[in-house]
Amino acid sequence: MKKKDLVEKNPLKMFVQDKDGNPVNQRMSLLMSRAGLGKTAILVQIALDSILRGNKVLHVSVGQSLDKTRAWYDDILHDIVGAMGLEDGAEVKEQVMRNRLIMTFKEAEFNRPKLEERLNDLVYQNVFRPDCLIVDGFDFEQTERQGLVEMRELVDAMELQVWFSALLHREDHRESSSGVPAPCHEVDDLFDTVVLIQPQGEKPNLCLKVVKDNGGQAGKILALDPVTYLVKEA
Amino acid sequence: MSNDIEKVRNIGISAHIDSGKTTLTERILYYTQRIHAIHEVRGKDGVGAKMDSMELEKERGITIASAATYCTWKDHAINIIDTPGHVDFTIEVERALRVLDGAVLILCSVGGVQSQSITVNRQMTRYNVPRIAFINKCDRTGANPARVTAQLRDKLALNAVPIQLPIGLEADMLGIIDLVTMKAVYFEGDNGDDIRIEEIPADYKDAVDEAREVMLDAVSMFSDELMEAVLEGTPTPEMIGEAIRKATLSLELTPVLVGSAYKNKGVQTLLDAVNAYLPCPTEVNNFALDLKNNEAEVKVSNDPKDPLVALAFKLEDGRYGQLTYVRTYQGTLKKGDTIYNSRTGKKVKVGRLVRMHSDEMEDIDTSGSGDIVALFGVDCASGDTFTSGDVSYSMSSMHIPAPVISLAIVPIDNKAQGNMSKALNRFTKEDPTFKTYVDDETSETIISGMGELHLDVYVERMKREYGAEVTVGAPQVAYRETITQRAEFDYTHKKQTGGSGQFGRVSGFVEPMEDGVYEFVDAIVGGVIPREFISSCDKGFQKSLVKGSLAEAPVTGVRVTINDGSFHAVDSSDVAFQLAAIGAFRQGYLKASPVLMEPIMKVSVEGPTEFQGAIMGSLNQRRGMILGTSEEANYTVVDAEVPLSEMFGYSTVLRSLTQGKAEFTMEFATYRQVPKNVAEEIIQARLKAKKNK
Repeated sequence: MKKKDLVEKNPLKMFVQDKDGNPVNQRMSLLMSRAGLGKTAILVQIALDSILRGNKVLHVSVGQSLDKTRAWYDDILHDIVGAMGLEDGAEVKEQVMRNRLIMTFKEAEFNRPKLEERLNDLVYQNVFRPDCLIVDGFDFEQTERQGLVEMRELVDAMELQVWFSALLHREDHRESSSGVPAPCHEVDDLFDTVVLIQPQGEKPNLCLKVVKDNGGQAGKILALDPVTYLVKEA
Repeated sequence: MSNDIEKVRNIGISAHIDSGKTTLTERILYYTQRIHAIHEVRGKDGVGAKMDSMELEKERGITIASAATYCTWKDHAINIIDTPGHVDFTIEVERALRVLDGAVLILCSVGGVQSQSITVNRQMTRYNVPRIAFINKCDRTGANPARVTAQLRDKLALNAVPIQLPIGLEADMLGIIDLVTMKAVYFEGDNGDDIRIEEIPADYKDAVDEAREVMLDAVSMFSDELMEAVLEGTPTPEMIGEAIRKATLSLELTPVLVGSAYKNKGVQTLLDAVNAYLPCPTEVNNFALDLKNNEAEVKVSNDPKDPLVALAFKLEDGRYGQLTYVRTYQGTLKKGDTIYNSRTGKKVKVGRLVRMHSDEMEDIDTSGSGDIVALFGVDCASGDTFTSGDVSYSMSSMHIPAPVISLAIVPIDNKAQGNMSKALNRFTKEDPTFKTYVDDETSETIISGMGELHLDVYVERMKREYGAEVTVGAPQVAYRETITQRAEFDYTHKKQTGGSGQFGRVSGFVEPMEDGVYEFVDAIVGGVIPREFISSCDKGFQKSLVKGSLAEAPVTGVRVTINDGSFHAVDSSDVAFQLAAIGAFRQGYLKASPVLMEPIMKVSVEGPTEFQGAIMGSLNQRRGMILGTSEEANYTVVDAEVPLSEMFGYSTVLRSLTQGKAEFTMEFATYRQVPKNVAEEIIQARLKAKKNK
């Protein structure tokens, strides 16, 4: 398989298109799950998909080290190359390296002003102009609504595709009217798309469920390979 | 010596330049009665401190090589491995970190945590070295141990907990208060030899109570027994000591001590802490590589009865020949034993076994597991592993990175010429990443290594230690060439100009090969090239690899297959087929889209966050690929991959960009294709240089 077939076949493309297949360039999305179900694995796949579509991705990792984050990319890319029998693997790896920038922050040290400063640095110094921003490990419980509103403004101003991940707690059952669970139930209006990772079926495999989507794709489900965590059509 | 392995400490003393490492070592040797007078580092008395046995180090006031020295303190045997604080001498630092079990991290009470400390600390974390911190120079104006402790927590992310407080600071520093025993300790006499232990002065009571509570809080996390005792208000110094030891060994706590080596305050109590809180050899897991099992990791036992495994970590040219420092990881090393070098497979006899005290020595008969001693007259290279022959373990990998930078050196006179060869011979043995050869064309001596500073240090050492002064050429990056596609060749070498002629025809193809340098495939059938000339073809191809036709750089990653050819009964010869192969290679090579490859360095720049943009910009300008950044408190680390050729002079640029607040380290990462426009420039420059010769 060639790179362009992979991009064409990737079910994640639904997140960069509306339901009629028109590209959506700017969107703020949220991936939610309980601990240990593979949020980072999914975010990395979304980032890789974006890179292979010719974009530049800024991956912000809160509370994880640079090496660990890089290892996620290496592992998942390795799995994709293996699972899809990708012929131009070396070229793809090179493309990923050149078009990805990882920034890590300690917990409690990441906020909008800091992100804005970093983004400005990158753009001003002509180092990197991201099209897609991944924020893994953002603490929704400790963030006021205003903080997220500002984040949304920044995203809109810079015309970015953004993905956040959020951690769910088993015992917290609060939910918004559109079905977005806590801790994001009060800020769900700020997101265009909200996706949950949840168990599905008798032999519980994991799947991605679109809970909310302004592009009209709410209710859609994507399956996850139980071994590699790669996203596939349900 | 002590045979009791639990009473052996192999420690490193590691620090930023000028935080007083050498002075501290000197004091330790004095109090352990290894030396009988105190000298200063930049000594006016011309003797100088003991550990800096290398002239260059004396002059610069820095420590480059890791000499080991032995001393005893309160029935514990302490081997001090002098650890270089410079990251550029990677092999040296790594070897030193491997042989030590614990470390004392010295910090200046005024300067605090500087970027070098950050790097050293990171390396220690990588090698799982438990450490205690010693805040030195508390006698200096501006001393602030509390601020340094806070920096240890913020910048180094260590769980730093003071277990001592200073009595007075700056010029008024009188002694220390031990928070474990709750006593005040004074160091009296001209050289601080007389220790007076007293009750804590009344005006320190509040500060001490507060600090002790903080310490007990932190330490009791590691011992349930202590936790209970603290709640009941009855913790004993033994309980606290045990908990501190446990926490330190698990790398979860760094006890902080204070003092001033220069003013002879707090050194003896530091030695007590080394005995009490740093590990003995059996408490550390060390791993060897099993050469019979594809370099799989095996844990070494530390048992003196097991087969011997020992690492030669440092060579020195002594007055009586080569001195080899070894650390035993298991088994016992005895005088008169026959041991095996696992790299060369050679047998060596242990003639003389000595314990080193910097540059003086003491003869011994045996050395137990975990100990550090020196051997005399054993021929080996640094990094070699010795075994009893029953196991084929190696303590270090056999893979040595190829040098990435080279310099031409020319001795200034005849005397220097002779000394230079002696020096080079020694350096190449000491350091496998340092290579030397003579360029056939220019007859210049070329030295090559892993970075600019790496070579600088050797040039300096040549001058100081061997009296070999040399002039140095501009540094050259070690480019390589390779091909990117398959191409056919069919070449006939024919020469008939009187006498016997030459004839050979070679046909086949070249193709890229991902791993490896060169492979020769003989696909000749029916004897179109006779057997005896096949190897001539191989030889011819290998000769072609030495200099590629793009920029005369070595060619790598090529597989050559020959599948046809012809010969002449009289005119074909070894030489004829070699020449035919050379011609054939040239023909195929140009068609196979050759490209230039350059060494890429992994560069890591550390500095205050406000400079992150500037740092990234500077790397970007150097064709760098930024891999990521990590931010912690007000500090940021930018990781990037940058071509070596763009890194010359970077330290100056970085210094001026960041007001000297950022530092960088770099190591070789890989070879990568040079972008077309840049390659064009390099090739043109080389052509021009050749014409001018």
